Amino acid sequence: MVGLGAIPGAWLRLRVVNHFEPLLPRKHWGTFAVNLVAAFSLGLVLGLQRAGRCGSSDGASVLILLVGTGFFGSLSTFSTFAVEVLVTLRERRWGEAVLLAAGSVIAALLVAGAGYGLGMSDA
Amino acid sequence: MPEQSPSLRKELEELLWVGLGAVPGALLRWQFGVLLQDRDVLVNVLGSLILGLLLGLPYRPRVQLLIGIGFCGSLTTFSSWMVSSVDLIASGLPLAAFGLIGLTLGLGLGGAALGLWIGRSLCALAIKRSEPPR
Repeated sequence: MVGLGAIPGAWLRLRVVNHFEPLLPRKHWGTFAVNLVAAFSLGLVLGLQRAGRCGSSDGASVLILLVGTGFFGSLSTFSTFAVEVLVTLRERRWGEAVLLAAGSVIAALLVAGAGYGLGMSDA
Repeated sequence: MPEQSPSLRKELEELLWVGLGAVPGALLRWQFGVLLQDRDVLVNVLGSLILGLLLGLPYRPRVQLLIGIGFCGSLTTFSSWMVSSVDLIASGLPLAAFGLIGLTLGLGLGGAALGLWIGRSLCALAIKRSEPPR
């Protein structure tokens, strides 16, 4: 199930990054965008699970593996992020590298927290 | 629509290569997570190292799709890293969360740099070997 969710996740990542490439000054903001979407969604999945809204049936845990670990796990990527920060550093674009690294982490933490909170809340 | 078929074919080919890499990548990440409970540090560092290595080698589109975008992209994960950190903060362990963020970031960048260096060295070695002896 993890593998099954990973195919559309990885493919969508490729398409989003390629789609936004001409619109953005640098390719890494496409990666930034998919990482944020995936962080929010995975936070939501975990929040829902923690709140006991997913049930504990076998079907529910399989679905969490498919959607959470497979799809959102593959949609987001750390390796591309790390290499993009490294490349930016090697180009001596210090400010942009720091902005990309810190901005990605802070923004993703906030949206993951928001997703988690939303999943846990009663609303 | 004869003018659309080449682009459709290209897209299907992309999907095939990316998917072929993504399945083992995600399965490996899942199994590492289950067995080691390491919150994805190891897979993220390993994937960064491999992707850095690819960057140092001559660019090949199919290899990039299969191993770079498919395998490394799926093996590593940004979202689980962030959600793990949020989870630690929510459990009242903010220091552990910052530790996880710093550790993954530092080791990931280090791994990518090491991979790039290995890739470049291999390239340099190959060029040296292919030069005719004097």
